Amino acid sequence: MKTDIIEAVNLTKIYKNTVKAVDHISFSVEEGELFGFIGPNGAGKTSTIKMLTTLASATEGVASVAGYDVSKNPGEVRKNIGIVPQELTADDELKGIENLLLSAKLHHVPNDEARRKAKELFELLELEGAAQRQVRTYSGGMRRRLQLAMGLIHDPKILFLDEPTLGLDIQTRQNMWTYIRDLNRKKGITVFMTTHYLEEADSLCDRIAIIDGGVIKLSGSPSGLKAKLGGTILTLQLTGTADISTLLKEVDDVTDVNKEGETYKIKLTRTETALPNIVEIVNKKGLKISDITLAKPTLDQVFLQITGNTMRDGAASGDSYGQRVLIERMK
Amino acid sequence: MFGDTIALTNRFLKKWIRNPAAMMPGLFMAVFWLALFGSSFNPVNLVPAQIGGSALSPVLVEQIRAAITSVFGGAANYITFLTAGVISFVVIINAAYGGIDLVLDRQLGYLNSLLSAPISRASIFFSGVMQNFVKAMFIALLTFIVGFLLPNGLQVGTGFGALNFIGIFVAFGLLTFGFGCFFTALAYSAKQVDSLVAIVNFLAFPLVFMSSAIFPLGNFPSWLKGIAEINPITKACETARLLIVNGNLSAGQLSTFAGNMLYLAVFAVVLAAIGYLIARRALKPE
Repeated sequence: MKTDIIEAVNLTKIYKNTVKAVDHISFSVEEGELFGFIGPNGAGKTSTIKMLTTLASATEGVASVAGYDVSKNPGEVRKNIGIVPQELTADDELKGIENLLLSAKLHHVPNDEARRKAKELFELLELEGAAQRQVRTYSGGMRRRLQLAMGLIHDPKILFLDEPTLGLDIQTRQNMWTYIRDLNRKKGITVFMTTHYLEEADSLCDRIAIIDGGVIKLSGSPSGLKAKLGGTILTLQLTGTADISTLLKEVDDVTDVNKEGETYKIKLTRTETALPNIVEIVNKKGLKISDITLAKPTLDQVFLQITGNTMRDGAASGDSYGQRVLIERMK
Repeated sequence: MFGDTIALTNRFLKKWIRNPAAMMPGLFMAVFWLALFGSSFNPVNLVPAQIGGSALSPVLVEQIRAAITSVFGGAANYITFLTAGVISFVVIINAAYGGIDLVLDRQLGYLNSLLSAPISRASIFFSGVMQNFVKAMFIALLTFIVGFLLPNGLQVGTGFGALNFIGIFVAFGLLTFGFGCFFTALAYSAKQVDSLVAIVNFLAFPLVFMSSAIFPLGNFPSWLKGIAEINPITKACETARLLIVNGNLSAGQLSTFAGNMLYLAVFAVVLAAIGYLIARRALKPE
């Protein structure tokens, strides 16, 4: 049986007694799990990661990481974790290898082992050719990979990734996903990541928690959360005047029908059985299908249902953005 | 802790060595002060050869010049007097503005990567101090050399040797370390570069002007003299001048030297303790 390697109970962070960034959240992460913390900017993701990595103290509640209480035993926590922060913190004026070996030194990795590990990580992250170059010459993707290497040089038990693909193009982002997945699956490293890219969480995470306004709204596996939405959504645009909503609702495996003008949004539990019957009804009523789309539920829809906003709305909303700006000022 | 401090100090020094332009402002400041300000002013030249058309007795002129030279601690010319002052000025400015790199480390998130590593806060603090120290002492050495190279420049007393040189740099080393600790603590407490620069400007210049760095204490008003006498910059400058001007020290001068060094050592230790306490508070989790 797997044990919980991260555990948070009623974790709360209030900056300067005014801004509540995280509000009594409780969750746990199993050893070897790839866990995603999802929410828009200002939702409380970074504040949570800072509390778990000893960079911020909790106003209320407790958290343990790798078996150590983060407030009572921060030194032990730091020995067991690797962090890849949101900011690009590798030193521009040092070479890639110098940044990596400095990270190793600060985690007290013996010199020979550090050099061996550095070589291995540069190969794994496809940075061999850039090791002797100053970081200022690196692209955004290379910097992110170097930071990932810096977070791994001391073989941490848990890797914290704060928005690991922020600002990367799609191809580089997908490459990063591959590295992160491999680290988790092949090396068994527990990964705790925050992201506001829902497709990233969907593709990578074993389990996610959706946080908004400092509160965890929902948690579970991406597939489980999507299943709760009730299956596939069929959108039909019809030409004709007849309203077939009632007939459609009577079709087996149809759970809900919404009509807006000539467009029907039909929720299905089993597409293969429901779709032929729906088409038959349309034909019988003399209607014509002008457009048809079939959409499997996405985390975006889960997020919309839970928070009332799409992630895009949330990221840009005055509330979340304002909260983030306020927290930065409070610090 | 020692190994972590060395590793972090090396990071700063590698960046510094790779960017030689960064040391130019400090060096230019030293050259300008010595070559332009120091060369254009020599107090003994203020004594006129004649007054109201009547020539002064050469003996009187020499007596006045000797009296003025004595006020300037026996320095053969103003550059000899000023070199110690300019060294103190450049080390203070270097220690003060060196903190900008530390504020940038905080702003760019680098400091967080150090704070989440299993290293002591003391090693983070002292690496900030040591990088400032090494840079400041290098500029101090260049300033000393510039003083020598200037025409009618720095003139050392008979018997000036390696021990005098070491004594001068130990005195300035203690001064730099003490102020380095203080300004490093301020830098770790500052969230913005602007606020650090404002504090540094407010403190660094008055500290230098309220000392014997540029002028001897003799003409200071009594209220300012009292402050200047206990200013560690004055102690470092007076110690350096003692060693530069006199070469071989008499028993009385040795006693003054020892007293000043003890004063500077206590100053360095106290500022290190205060600086560390301030920095530790600033480096606490948010």
